[in-house]
Amino acid sequence: MDRRSFIKLTAVTGASATLANCGNPENQLIRFVPDDDLVPGVAVWKPSVCPLCSAGCGLSVRVMEADVETVRGGQAGVVRMGVAKKLEGNPLHPVNQGALCARGQAALQVTFHPDRITQPLKRSGSRGDGRYEAITWDAALAELTSKLDALAAAGNQRALTFLSRRVGSQRQALVEEFLARFGAPPQVTFELFGDDVLRRANALSFGREQVPTVDLARARYVVSFGADFLGTWNSPVAQGAAYGVMRQGRPGLRGAFVQVESRMSQTGANADEWVPVTPGTEGVLALGLAQVIVSAKLRLASAAGRAGALIDGWSGGLVDFTPERVAAVTGVPAPRIERLARAFAGQTPSVAVIGGAPLAHTNGLFNALAVNALSALVGSVGQPGGLHFTPQPPPLSMSPGAAARATASPSIEKLAADLLTPGEAPVQLLMIDGANPVFTTPRAWKVRDAIGKVPYIVSFGHFLDETSILADLILPDHTFLESWVDAIPESGSLAGVLSMAPPAMRPLYQTRSTPDVLLEVGRALAMPLAPAFAWQTYDEMLKMAFASLPVTAADADAWTAAQTQGGWWGDFPASALVRPPTDMAPSPAASVVAYAEPQFDSAAEDYPFHFLPYPSSAFLDGSLAHLPWLQEMPDPLTSAMWSSWIEINPATAERLGIALGDMVDVASVQGTLRAPAVISPGIAPDIIAMPAGQGHQTYTRYASGRGENPIALLAPLTEASTGALAWAATRVRISRVGDPDGRLILFAGGMREEAEPRR
Amino acid sequence: MAVDLDSCTGCGACVTACHAENNISTVGAEQAAIGRAKHWIRVERYWEGDFPDVRLKFRPVMCQQCDAAPCEPVCPTYASHHTEEGLNAQVYNRCIGTRYCANACPYNVRFFDFFNPSWDKPLHLQLNPDVSLREVGVMEKCTFCVQRIKSAKTQAQAEDRELKDGEIQPACVQSCPPKALVFGDLNDPESQVSRLSRSTRGSTLLEDIGTRPKVNYLARQTQL
Repeated sequence: MDRRSFIKLTAVTGASATLANCGNPENQLIRFVPDDDLVPGVAVWKPSVCPLCSAGCGLSVRVMEADVETVRGGQAGVVRMGVAKKLEGNPLHPVNQGALCARGQAALQVTFHPDRITQPLKRSGSRGDGRYEAITWDAALAELTSKLDALAAAGNQRALTFLSRRVGSQRQALVEEFLARFGAPPQVTFELFGDDVLRRANALSFGREQVPTVDLARARYVVSFGADFLGTWNSPVAQGAAYGVMRQGRPGLRGAFVQVESRMSQTGANADEWVPVTPGTEGVLALGLAQVIVSAKLRLASAAGRAGALIDGWSGGLVDFTPERVAAVTGVPAPRIERLARAFAGQTPSVAVIGGAPLAHTNGLFNALAVNALSALVGSVGQPGGLHFTPQPPPLSMSPGAAARATASPSIEKLAADLLTPGEAPVQLLMIDGANPVFTTPRAWKVRDAIGKVPYIVSFGHFLDETSILADLILPDHTFLESWVDAIPESGSLAGVLSMAPPAMRPLYQTRSTPDVLLEVGRALAMPLAPAFAWQTYDEMLKMAFASLPVTAADADAWTAAQTQGGWWGDFPASALVRPPTDMAPSPAASVVAYAEPQFDSAAEDYPFHFLPYPSSAFLDGSLAHLPWLQEMPDPLTSAMWSSWIEINPATAERLGIALGDMVDVASVQGTLRAPAVISPGIAPDIIAMPAGQGHQTYTRYASGRGENPIALLAPLTEASTGALAWAATRVRISRVGDPDGRLILFAGGMREEAEPRR
Repeated sequence: MAVDLDSCTGCGACVTACHAENNISTVGAEQAAIGRAKHWIRVERYWEGDFPDVRLKFRPVMCQQCDAAPCEPVCPTYASHHTEEGLNAQVYNRCIGTRYCANACPYNVRFFDFFNPSWDKPLHLQLNPDVSLREVGVMEKCTFCVQRIKSAKTQAQAEDRELKDGEIQPACVQSCPPKALVFGDLNDPESQVSRLSRSTRGSTLLEDIGTRPKVNYLARQTQL
C-alpha cells in the first residue's frame, strides 16, 4: 500500500469508526493516551553549587537511579547508582532564587562529557602532543610529592606557582593556605573579562574593593555603562531576577533603564533608551550628566562625597564637562545629555552601573570612577535601589597573612615575561587548576611559550585544553556534582551568602577532589607543612568554617542546615566580617583623577575600526565551549549556533560590499582571522564586534577546531593605573575575501523575514 | 501560559532548560546548518529602526497550544491531538512522519527527527527518564512539560489536596530569571496566568488567523 492510499484509508475508517460508535465509548478509537500510562519517576533533590562562573548560584540537582558503566576497584562493569538528571536553581538561594541561566543548565554536561579525563595521566609523548599514559593515583601522588620534596630540599619553595581562576571560595582559601605553608608565592589568576578595574575604582570611591550588587528590584531609573548585567556580567541570574521585579513586579511602578554602549548587547536590547557612545568616553558622558545635575542645582556637588572628590574639577562644578563639550567627545547630542541627567536626578532611586568594555580601555579606571561619582551624587550608594556591597566573610585563614598575600599575586603577564627571560626558570613546578591562559591571553604575552619553559607541570582539570595539554601530570578533579563544593558570592545578594553543598552523586571515574589531593600531598611531604593542616579533608575544613556561623534554622546547627539547604545566608556577626557594612571609608592615598583620552594600539588611518570582543552568551570567555547544549543554543542576538562570527553595521557592510555570511578577514597589528559576517543594526559604523569563546585548538570533540578566537587579535595594551588588559583598545581593518562558505550556522536561517526593505 | 515581554531579557535560559528536560538531542553543526536543529522553545528577535535609533525586541516562541490547532485535523493517525485539558499532545508511537502538522503549523514550532537520537556516551546519563525518546521519522514539539504536569497532579493526589496555582512549572518557566514566563490553569479565573492573560497588554501570536492560541504575550512597554 502506498502512502496516499494508506492515508485515504485511515481517514475513511477513522471517520466511520467515530460516527458508527457514537454513544458506545468502549468501541471508540482510543484518541487519548490514558493519563494513567504516564508514570513519573521518583527523584531525590540535592543541593549543589554552579561552578561555571563566579556568581556562585545555588543548584537543586535532580538525582535518579541509572545504570552506569564504570570501573570500580580495577573492575569494569555496570553499577546502578544515583546520577544527576537535571539542574535547577535552588529556590532557597538568595542569589539566583530558583532560577538558572542557560550556562548553568548545561553544567550537567561537564560531569557526563564523553571527553572527560577519567583517571591520572602521565605524559608519554613530547610536550603538547596530547599523548598520555594511565598511571595509578599512588604513583601519581608519589611523583608530585617527590617534585615538591625536591623543591623544598633545594630551599627553592618559591619556584612553585599555582595558576587558577578568580573565584571566591573556601576551596581557593585552602589552596592559598597550602601555598603559604609550603612557602610558595600566592596563586596567579587571570580573568579575561575580569572586573579588577572596577574593584579598584570601588575601593577608591567607596572603600570596598569589590564588585557591587545593584539593587535593581527597588530602583526606578538605571543607567548602565556597558554592563551586560542581564547576559554575562557579574551575577546575571540575580540581576535578571531583580530586573523582572523592576519592570513588572511592582504594581504601578515600572523602573526605567538606559544602556550606554557602542554595540547593542543582549542587555542593551532590553533598555528603554539605547545610547551609543564613542568607545572609551563613557566616563565623560557620566560626568556630563553630573555636570547638568550640579549646574541645575538638582544636587550639591558635595553630595558625592569622596567619590566625587576623586574627580578632577568636581568641586568646581565640572566646567569642562558642559553638555556641548561632552557631546563633542562622546557623540551623544547635548539635549539628550540634558534630558537623561534630569531624569536620572528626578526619578529616584536611580543608580549608575559600569561593567564590560568601558573598563577595558586604557582609561578604564577613570570611566569607573566617573560612573561611581554619578551614583554617589544622587545618593544611591548603600540605599534602597542603589549600589550595595554583599557582606564578605573572612576566608578561613589559619596562618597569619594568607589573606593579605592573595591580593598581592603577580600578573600572568609578568609571570610569562619572567619565564621567557634567559636563565634558570623562576618556576620549576606549575600547578594549573581550571585556568586556560594559553587561550584567554593575547598572543603578544607569549603565555604558551612561557609555560612551555616550566620543567614540570601538573593539571587538575577535567579536560585537555590549550594549557593543560602542556602538563606532565594530570590529576583529574571530581566535578562539582561529585564532590564537596563551595563558593562565596562577591555580589548578587544584599545579605551575606556562602554557597556550599556535599556531593550530589558518587564519582563516575577514578578522579579525586583537588583540595583533598593537596591535603594528602601536604601530609606526605618529607619536610612537613608548617603549621600542619588542622583538617584531613576539604569537608572538615568546610565544617570548621560553617560551625562558627550563627544558627539560622530552629532544629539544626549551621553546618547541618547548610548541607541540606545548599549553603548559609543571613547576617554575619559584625566581628566576623572583613569590613563592617557601614565602613564606606575611603582609602587615604588616592589622588585626583582626570580624563585621559583612551589610547589605541594603532592609527585610525591604517586600522579604521574599533575591535570589540565580548563574552559570548553561551561560552563566556571560551571556558564553556565544550558543552554541546551551549554550542547548539542560538545566540540571542544573531541566532548563530556552532559558529563564530563578526558583527558589522549595515551601512559599513554596504560600503564594503559585505553581505550576511560573507567571509571577512579581520586584521590587527597582532594578526589576522577569517570569520563570516553578521550584519547587525545595533552596532556603530566604526566598530567590529566578535564574540569570544570559539577558536579552540584543543578542547574536546565539540569545540576543537571550530571557529576563531578574537583574543588572538588583541594588542597587549593595559589599563593605565591597574595593569588590567585593555581588551577594547585594539583597532582592526577588514576586507571581504569570499562568499558564504557555510561556516555561519543560523537557527531557522532560511526563514528570515524583513518587515520592510532596508533604506 | 503567559509571557511578559516587558521582563523577558532574551537570555536563552529557557532554551537550554528545555533541551535538558525534554531529551532533545543536539544535532551537531552539519545538521544544524541544513535547518535540522530542534528547539522546542526559541527566542525570536525583531530589529526596528536603523543605527543609532535602533531597537531590538525579544519574543520566546514555543508551541502555542492552540484551541483550534491547524496541526491536529491534518494528522492522519491522530498522533497530533487535543487532550481533554486542552493541550496539543503528540503521540510519538502513532506518528508516521507525514509532516503535515509541521506544514500546517503557522508558528514553526514542530520539529522532525531526521535521525535516531544519539548521545556520545556517557552523555546519555543526562536523559530524563520521564520523557520518551523520539526515533527517526517522528515529529516532536513542546508539550508544556506534560510529565511535570502529571507529576504535580500525582503529588497533589497523594497528599489528598487540590493543585496550587503555580505548582506546575514547565522547565522553561522554572529556569526563567526574571519570571517572564507564567504557567497555570486558564480555566481558573483566579490563577495568575488567567489574570495576566486578561491584561490590556496581552495579545496572542497571529491571532487573526483564528488558531486561538493559549499562550498570551504581554507587550513590552516603553517609557522615558
